[in-house]
Parts: sequence; C-alpha cells; structure tokens
Amino acid sequence: MNPKMLSMNIGTALAGLALALVPLTPASAARLGNATVLNAASGVTIQVNPVDKVMSDGQTVRFWVFCAGGGGGGGMMGGGGGCYPSGPTLELGVGQQLNVSLNIMMAPQENAPYNGHTIHWHGLDVAQSEDGVPETGASVLGDNYSFSVDSRYVGSHMYHCHVHTVKHLEMGMYAPLVVKSVNNAGAFVDVINSGGPAYDYEWNLMYSSVDPAYHTAVGDSTTFADYNPKYFLINGNEGRSMTAPAETVTAAPGKKVAIRLFGIMSVNSSFEIKNASGSSQSFTVYNKDGYKLPSTQTLTKLDLTPGQTADVMLTLPSTTGSWYPQVTFKNLRNGGSYSGGTVYTRLNF
Amino acid sequence: MTNALALARTSARRLFVALLCLPLFLISAVSQAASYTLYIKAGTHTINGAGGTTLKVWGFTDNPSTGPMVPGPLLESQEGETVTVTVYNQHTLAHNFVVRGVTTDTASIPAGSSKTYSFTTPKAGTYLVSDTLNSNINREMGLHGALVVRAAGGVNKVWTNGPSFDLERVWIVSDMDKPRWNDIAGNGGSVSTGTYKPNYFMMNGLGGHDAMHDPNTVLQGSPGKVGLVRIVNAGQFDQSLHFHANHFRVIDDDGLRLSNPEYGDTINVQAGTTAMVLFPLRSGIYPMHVHSAQLETANGVYLNGVATLLVGQ
Repeated sequence: MNPKMLSMNIGTALAGLALALVPLTPASAARLGNATVLNAASGVTIQVNPVDKVMSDGQTVRFWVFCAGGGGGGGMMGGGGGCYPSGPTLELGVGQQLNVSLNIMMAPQENAPYNGHTIHWHGLDVAQSEDGVPETGASVLGDNYSFSVDSRYVGSHMYHCHVHTVKHLEMGMYAPLVVKSVNNAGAFVDVINSGGPAYDYEWNLMYSSVDPAYHTAVGDSTTFADYNPKYFLINGNEGRSMTAPAETVTAAPGKKVAIRLFGIMSVNSSFEIKNASGSSQSFTVYNKDGYKLPSTQTLTKLDLTPGQTADVMLTLPSTTGSWYPQVTFKNLRNGGSYSGGTVYTRLNF
Repeated sequence: MTNALALARTSARRLFVALLCLPLFLISAVSQAASYTLYIKAGTHTINGAGGTTLKVWGFTDNPSTGPMVPGPLLESQEGETVTVTVYNQHTLAHNFVVRGVTTDTASIPAGSSKTYSFTTPKAGTYLVSDTLNSNINREMGLHGALVVRAAGGVNKVWTNGPSFDLERVWIVSDMDKPRWNDIAGNGGSVSTGTYKPNYFMMNGLGGHDAMHDPNTVLQGSPGKVGLVRIVNAGQFDQSLHFHANHFRVIDDDGLRLSNPEYGDTINVQAGTTAMVLFPLRSGIYPMHVHSAQLETANGVYLNGVATLLVGQ
C-alpha cells in the first residue's frame, strides 16, 4: 500500500487541477436536481468532511460526507461540492477508466479498528484490490481507485465507505454512481441502458435514513444493536410534506424523465409518483441494481430495499402541472410505516 | 434352431438389461424415500466471537443425545420423493412441524408425544421448515430449518431441465431478540410479541465471525464456477443480502421460478420466505453481507451478524 499512498498525494494534487480544467463531457439530457456531478474518469479527488445539519425538529445531527476535493464550494472545511449527505454524483462512461482518489487527511474518523475510510463501488463488480473492503485488504488510509466496466452496467450504482458500515453509512458516506453509454467519440449517450430508450432529463434520488444515536456512538457499541430511524432523507433532505419537498425540479411538458433511485437506507421503502390530488401515476422500470431487466415493468409502486437501485422512466403530460415523486419508508419486521416516514419531492412541468 | 437362438439372444439381452438396471435400481430405490427422525428440545445456542452470547433456544435435532440445533438438521430429498419425518416433542410446550408450501398439518404435537408426517415433494426448490405455533415465538426461539429438494437423478441442475450449477450452499438467515424474547420465553415467561428488537443475526446459526470461515456457509470454488445459493429467511426481519464481486441471477423468488434472467447485487428475502440465486465466482475474496445497519452486528459488534465470504480460488 505504501507506493499507492505516495502516488496518492501526487494524484490528489493533479486530480484537483484536472477537475478545474476539464469540463464534464457534454450530454444532451439535462440533469435535474442540485447534486454536484463529476466525470469519474476525469481524475476526481474525494475527501470526507464533517457537516452539522439542523433537522426539522431543531436537533443538530453530525454527518460525515464525501466532497469533491479541490477547493471552493460548501462544507465546513471547504471542498469542491457535494458536501452534504449524499455526496457528489459520479458518472462513468462504459470502457472509460475510473480515476478517483480518496484523500482522508483531514477526515473525521473513528479510532482503531474502525479508523480511516474507503470507497466501495456498490454494484460495480470490480477486482478485490478495488473493492474498498478493509477486511479483504483495502487501505483505510486513502487510496487510488481505477477500473472500467462494460455495457451491462449502464444504469445506477452507488459508492460508499466500507469501514464499519453500520456507522459510516449512517453518517452519510454515500453518493450515486451512474454508468453511461458512450458514443465513438467517448461522449456520454443518454439512454436508460445499453440499447435502451433515450431520455430528455435525468434525476437522481438517493434515499437514506437517520438514527441520531448512531451518529454519536462509536466502536462496538450496543447502540448499533438496535436501529430507530427518526429522519428520512432524499438527497440529504427531509421533505415531510408536498409543500416542503426534499427537492423541487422543473422539466418541460411532454418530455421523458429518467428517475434513478438509490437505496442506501437501512429500512425498506416504496416509491410512488402522485399528482396534486393524490392519484398515482405509472412509470416504467428498466433496470434493477444497474442491470437491464429482461422485460420492462410498468408500475405505480416500486419497492426498494437496502442496497438496491432502480432506473425508471416516465413521460410528462403535455400540459403544465406538478407531480410528487415520494418514498414511504417501512420497517423491516412487518412493513409498517414510520411516523414522518414519507419523503416528498416535486417535479414541475 | 432359429427359435432357440432367438430365445437365447433375448435372454442374454434381458440379462444385460437387468445388469445395467441393477445400479440404477439401487439408486432409485434409495432416492424414492427419505426418512428423518427429529427431536424438539430446549437448550442453548452460542454465538462465538466479540459481541457473541449464549441464547436460550428451542430447536430440532436429529440426535437424541444432544441439545437442539439452530437451525435444525437440513432435510434433503429429490423431486417426487416421499419424505417421512417423525417428530418427537421432548419439550414442555406444544409444537408443530410445517414445511411451508408442502405440508398442511399445523396441529400441535403435545408435549411428550410424537407425530409422523409423510409427504411427496412437489417440485425442486428450497423450503422453510418451522414450528408455526405461538405467534412466531417458536420459530424465533430456534425451531426452524430448511428442506432442500433437488432435481431427480442427482444431476447438477437446479430442477429437472433447469439451470446448471457447480456447487451449492444453503444460507438460513435468522434473528433473535435475546432480552425481550429468548430470555423471557426460555425461562417460561410470556413474551410481549408487539415489541421485537432482535440483537443477534445469524447465517446458519453463526455470527459473521464464524460464518466467514464456515465451509458450509462460505461460497468457495474455482473462479468461473457457478454457485447455487439457497436462501431461507427464518427470521422476522426482511433481509437484503448484498453480494460483492458479481451480479447474481435470481432463478427462484419464494418458489416462483423466473425463466427470464433477472440480475442483481442485492436480494431482499422477506421474513419467512426463500430465494435461489446463481452466482458465478470471481477470482479473489469478497464479502456477502446484509445491507441494513444492525443486522451486520452481534449485539452491536460489527460483522458478527449476517456476513460471509465469496471466495474464488
């Protein structure tokens, strides 16, 4: 690991430079939402920052979040963006070499044996050396990750820390990772899966759940024996009502929207899209866990469980209006819902 | 002469056919019936490693001179076989024995008595075995296991003319709430079933520290070999099992055979249900673990919950 560590420091500096100079590969579809989006092949440095977030009930919860390194942007300690739970979205073209450095020099962390951090490429079937699992040999002191994937993976995946995941996932160390088709020039082609239909907009919704007790406990604490989520998030925000959605986006009427769902929460969930009067709208599921389904499924409700992703598409009405994509979080014992366990977003058209 | 010759030839052929059939006959004679004797007992079950403990349990065993096994002994058969299971209830409470989706007799076996169940296996697959009485308490206390029904003829197909596999594991995942269920029920008390906060999570009765080294749990083989994993969730919490290294193919969702290949890296196996996946091994060592907070722990100690390894070497 030592040679890697040496190159990491140089790589970190170079990656910051590359980030500033190389714009994202142009794509025809518009990205909805507030997330910072980075091309994972362009040389990205990820750092870990502490962020204190005031929740809807006034309680402050500390998160540890991935940020794009390289200065500027939000976060308590600086960073290039994505400094909230969830972190910056990474996009990777098929066949292109992912080039990501994790720099933990200023990162908040636990004491040994759960010190440090890694990145696990959840859903990308990478070699053991790139898998980010400390128990199978990954460095927890920062690392350079490099691999490529083929067209089977076009769709939604995630990246997250794999150190003491019972705590580190809860702390907010996760973000979307989207694999994209590319054309002969290497530019992203906005299709839902390899050979699949194109879309006009894409929107990432990452679900997470928060038990504040897990945010203060460390090590092998009995706190981690029981999970009592109190807050539910989409893209790092509570959205407890249609009038206070977690995220509001606007697209043109009649257009096709791809919605990517990323389940990093520790409880079960159902996704629905309703109009202002509460009627369910149908959508079509194309991929699960970043792999094309043998046949698409048109549904009005889609269950997503911890660790799963799904890619759905819908066509907006030709007249203006608003829909409310929403997630109801459900407990693992009997699927019962939680108090305040529905998170709303808003899609204007 | 012609007739005599023909007769001799026929006899020889008959003898030849009979000789050919002899080993087949022996195999089929063995495989047409499986017979098990199980004993229901109270005892203890230990989860080793940091965070581990000894739990009061009730369980099935096939050894009259030992304590209960959690999970119970694996029941194995082939498609279309007759399976006979005699259950001796050596515990102080009433229990039953139900193979989910296969047997229908849910009547209790009174304490101190026995019952014999005989059934024909309907189709190749993986089935939850449990005691269904007492508001899930009996199943939670350890009275659970699995019946595996394989394709006829000993072929490495998941079912007759079904997909092939090279190696096989059975993963029975479960959960136990020591303070609120096992300690109470194990001491003869009354469990308040409205609250269930399990603090132990197991694969084949093992915490992750053991399950990551147990040859019957770790999926290990040459890279490229296809592992058939039979997953039984005998617990009360839904479990989402995440496989590193490769996408699996789901071939059976709680008894429903999927003819179109559907792939994933995380499979949700609801409480009390089963699934079967095919997983091609990849060179190296990778984890498989549940992706929900406390389910990865033994009373809060990381990775001593539902976790094992996928080893290609």
